[in-house]
Amino acid sequence: MSIFAVNHLCREVLRDHAFRAAMKSDPAKALAPLDLSDDERRALLAGDVGTLYRMGVNAFLMNYLARFEVCELNVKIYNQRMRAVKVDEIGQPVG
Amino acid sequence: MAQIVAGFGVPHTPIFPHFVKRDGPDCEIAKLFGAQKAQLAAERPDLIVMFDTDHLNTFFLDSLPIFAVGIDRIFKAPNDEPRDVPNYIVPSMLDVAAHIRSAVVAAGFDVGMTQNYSVDHSVIVPLHFLTPDMTVPVIPFFISGHVPPLPSAQRCHALGRAVAHAIESWPVPLRVVIMGSGSFSLEVGGPRMAPGRSDGVPDPDWAMRVVNYLEEQKIDRLIAEATQHQLLKAGNVGGELLNWIAMLGAIGDRKPDYVAPQMQNGHAYGVWRWN
Repeated sequence: MSIFAVNHLCREVLRDHAFRAAMKSDPAKALAPLDLSDDERRALLAGDVGTLYRMGVNAFLMNYLARFEVCELNVKIYNQRMRAVKVDEIGQPVG
Repeated sequence: MAQIVAGFGVPHTPIFPHFVKRDGPDCEIAKLFGAQKAQLAAERPDLIVMFDTDHLNTFFLDSLPIFAVGIDRIFKAPNDEPRDVPNYIVPSMLDVAAHIRSAVVAAGFDVGMTQNYSVDHSVIVPLHFLTPDMTVPVIPFFISGHVPPLPSAQRCHALGRAVAHAIESWPVPLRVVIMGSGSFSLEVGGPRMAPGRSDGVPDPDWAMRVVNYLEEQKIDRLIAEATQHQLLKAGNVGGELLNWIAMLGAIGDRKPDYVAPQMQNGHAYGVWRWN
């Protein structure tokens, strides 16, 4: 259920402009009420999209974090971190 | 009786409206969509049925049908803020959509539905270019092409046939165009993006092979090779090819007038007309 919460908050960054603004100004506060594991919360606040992908978060939902530049991400940083994830030929994380 | 008069395969890259606004009517995207727009207008459609994969905007992971049809008099778009796409209200045909759903359920396809709904760029970007005045009613038919398990290509092709039979059993004369929306190879936001971009084309050879199979009318071969493994190998949205395959099932596996590839994006623009 917890990964669902990460996927859901990524979409809320797209849909809920107040939440998007909160994630830009104070992400720790914005994430505080959400039902996230410590690892998920830590990875989100660090903009560690590679770890989140390995945990099973949907990539194109996570892409909203870069598009709207929350958690100190942008297209360039997101791209570098995500491309560092080693995957098999169908995109599943390996190693 | 309603009749299917043409098939179209379309891309739906969300940044394309911005590129065309920026680069003008002579850019490649504008010309490719412009050519399709002229072909579509020549068919004088009364209705478009569009096979499409929602990007978790109409549906979400809390409720995700494999197949579903939009049933309402109108729908709104876009719900995902693609750049330089205005807010549209698109007419639809509630009675025809409900009839299609009933008929294909009776034919053995368990199809969900959505009402009072909105759609994302995957429906509205092609319409933005092809029917910008939004006077042609559209029925979106959703196929889950992003989140495994994906429906099989064979199943989607058969679904297209069932949708065609449903349309052809509608007693009112209508000229119906079938569309399939999506890419053949594309990774969005995942590890197989191109450097510095938000997307990439992980399997360009597959994308070109799809184009060749479409041009050569080798649809059985396409269906046989479009396994879930191949679709995922083609990218995290590679399953959008299923929308084209459903469209081919609906129009009856005809030879295309043309399939224009845009391989840097892993997709193509296809037109099938026969009248």
